[in-house]
Amino acid sequence: MRVLIANRGEIAVRVIRACREMGLPTVAVYSDCDRAARHVMEADRAEHIGPDEAVRSYLNFSAILDAARRSDADAVHPGYGFLSENAAFARACVDAGLTFIGPAPGAIEMMGSKTEARRAAMRAGVPVVPGTEAALGLDTAEEELTAIAADIGYPLMVKAVAGGGGKGMRVVEDPGGLLGALRTARSEAGSAFGDTAVYLERLLPRPRHVEIQLLGDSHGTVIPFVERECSIQRRHQKVVEESPSLAVSPALRARMAAAAAAVARAVGYTNAGTIEFLLDEDGSFYFLEMNTRLQVEHPVTEMVTGVDLVQWQIRIARGERLDLEPEQALTPRGHAIECRLYAEDPDENFMPSPGLIRGLRPAGGPGVRDDGGVSAGYRVPVFYDSLIAKLVTWGNARDEAIARMGRALREYQVLGIRTTIPFFLWLMQEPDYLAGRYDTTYLDRILAGRQGPFVEVAEEDAALAALAAALDVYFRAAGAGGARAVNGPRPLWTQIGRREALRG
Amino acid sequence: MTFEVEVEGRIRTIVIEHGDNPSSFRVQIDGEPGVVDAVRAGDKSLSIFGRVTFLRNGGPEKGTLRIGAAVQVTAGPAPGEGIVHLNGRTIRAVINGRRRRAAADEGAHGPGDVVVAAPMPGRIVRVLVAPGDQVTARQGLVVVEAMKMENELRAPRAGRVKEVSVVPGASVEAGCVLAVIE
Repeated sequence: MRVLIANRGEIAVRVIRACREMGLPTVAVYSDCDRAARHVMEADRAEHIGPDEAVRSYLNFSAILDAARRSDADAVHPGYGFLSENAAFARACVDAGLTFIGPAPGAIEMMGSKTEARRAAMRAGVPVVPGTEAALGLDTAEEELTAIAADIGYPLMVKAVAGGGGKGMRVVEDPGGLLGALRTARSEAGSAFGDTAVYLERLLPRPRHVEIQLLGDSHGTVIPFVERECSIQRRHQKVVEESPSLAVSPALRARMAAAAAAVARAVGYTNAGTIEFLLDEDGSFYFLEMNTRLQVEHPVTEMVTGVDLVQWQIRIARGERLDLEPEQALTPRGHAIECRLYAEDPDENFMPSPGLIRGLRPAGGPGVRDDGGVSAGYRVPVFYDSLIAKLVTWGNARDEAIARMGRALREYQVLGIRTTIPFFLWLMQEPDYLAGRYDTTYLDRILAGRQGPFVEVAEEDAALAALAAALDVYFRAAGAGGARAVNGPRPLWTQIGRREALRG
Repeated sequence: MTFEVEVEGRIRTIVIEHGDNPSSFRVQIDGEPGVVDAVRAGDKSLSIFGRVTFLRNGGPEKGTLRIGAAVQVTAGPAPGEGIVHLNGRTIRAVINGRRRRAAADEGAHGPGDVVVAAPMPGRIVRVLVAPGDQVTARQGLVVVEAMKMENELRAPRAGRVKEVSVVPGASVEAGCVLAVIE
């Protein structure tokens, strides 16, 4: 089975690794700016699918299906993002005679609608956050909207039916803000998803975001996994995930896993999927949504269960039976943490920091896993999201995993662009994080209340850095110390050295 | 050879001269002398040993650098910028930036003007100010979309908006002037 990966970056590399371990040949696809990207280098072959803009390349059905035809691929792995939750693409793959490595198009469609997914959960007897059962009609009278909202109770959330990634979401504190929030959420949802439909949901004040990974095969077996704790979020985007959750006891785990499996069975779900729950302070949990794809944070589950989720995706797509021990999937061995390394400058309000990666040395050693997607010499483009690597550490217990993360973050060198490494170095020492005292509002709250750089540079280090920088330029200018540029010219850095040399 | 190196907002004057053997160098940090032994360990790495004093917070208190380190150094994205990785920290060092800035300031804009430029290529989503507006430091000026995120570019200091050079929907390159504050 030749597998075409309809994605890029770290997740394409991750899928290539799984395929290689299974002895399956791989096909990468790439846009203009990704020609020299790591996933292209690591695949057995690569097909060009269009220009930089994702709509004309990684989101372009026909270009990807053409690439599959040209490369004689048998199957398509969509990764996450891009076309991974696009039912029409899944259907187009099937129609073209390709195996789509993911759920059936019908399941993607149903769970892609937040209101339909809520109904499916309710049918399976799983609690959902109190809210409207269907999308609010555009012609609903103001008095009726006010009554519906009062029924749900404040504070509440306006959410896009087609939503995701924090877009089309508005918090309403009191009745006065309702109509305005509906308007802005509709307009945001319209431009982000091409669908203005919204619904209302009660806002839990301090929930944790806890999710259950599951696998389902085409023979009716569904296996839920130990939970992932994903409450560390910045502006509704996950930045750190861990497994297991400190807030989940074995008994609660069993109940959440059973609820997740019930939802999946109720819709005849196959392949990998994730049920997201909000966990309230009192231990009650509510179905939030289902992601019908591989998740970014899947490695933490792999690290504590020893199960390769991507290989299972492929085996399930081939029709194999899911013969995992349910006990193995539900019993965490140790603790795993993932930090998402983004090309962003945490000291400049997480501003994107695309550009040339001049040097790269990922962390290694005991208990460290680097799911990287870039290499030295690659120019991180502005066209796609800014995730460059996922750094995952494992420990026998949470404190060991955190200590390893701190060590690995210090080892990890990315030269040339800014990354979120300094932010994680700070977070891994933050008292509430260390104590596990956090919920989905924690990170935004604590970031709003702090100032200054995430990593203070000691004066000794600053002085040594100045000396080292001067020595480097001196060597390059004078050719001393056996200096010889082996990686080609560095015009600007070198020019300074030359100019200084001439000055004497 | 004399360098002015800016690290963490402080400029230090570094003098480097050949020492008694090929890997030995006489150095000064802000006039404080010392000797180091330094060799290249690959294209991006220096191995430095030695003992150098330096002035804390610009003096008069002195600190001592006992160096026994492999330091990663590479050229940064901006002219004269180097990136140094040591001790788990990535530190930016700008060589002779003062001189270069002085040269740049002789450019088109007046002496008190601050140019706000796009830090990366992207698309202008919103323009939040108009020429003539008074702005406070860190007030949002322009929202640029890049890497699937909207990023608000803020005024580096208070002042009056002299010029807005972009309109919503426009594509900009890195370094493209967005607004000028006077």
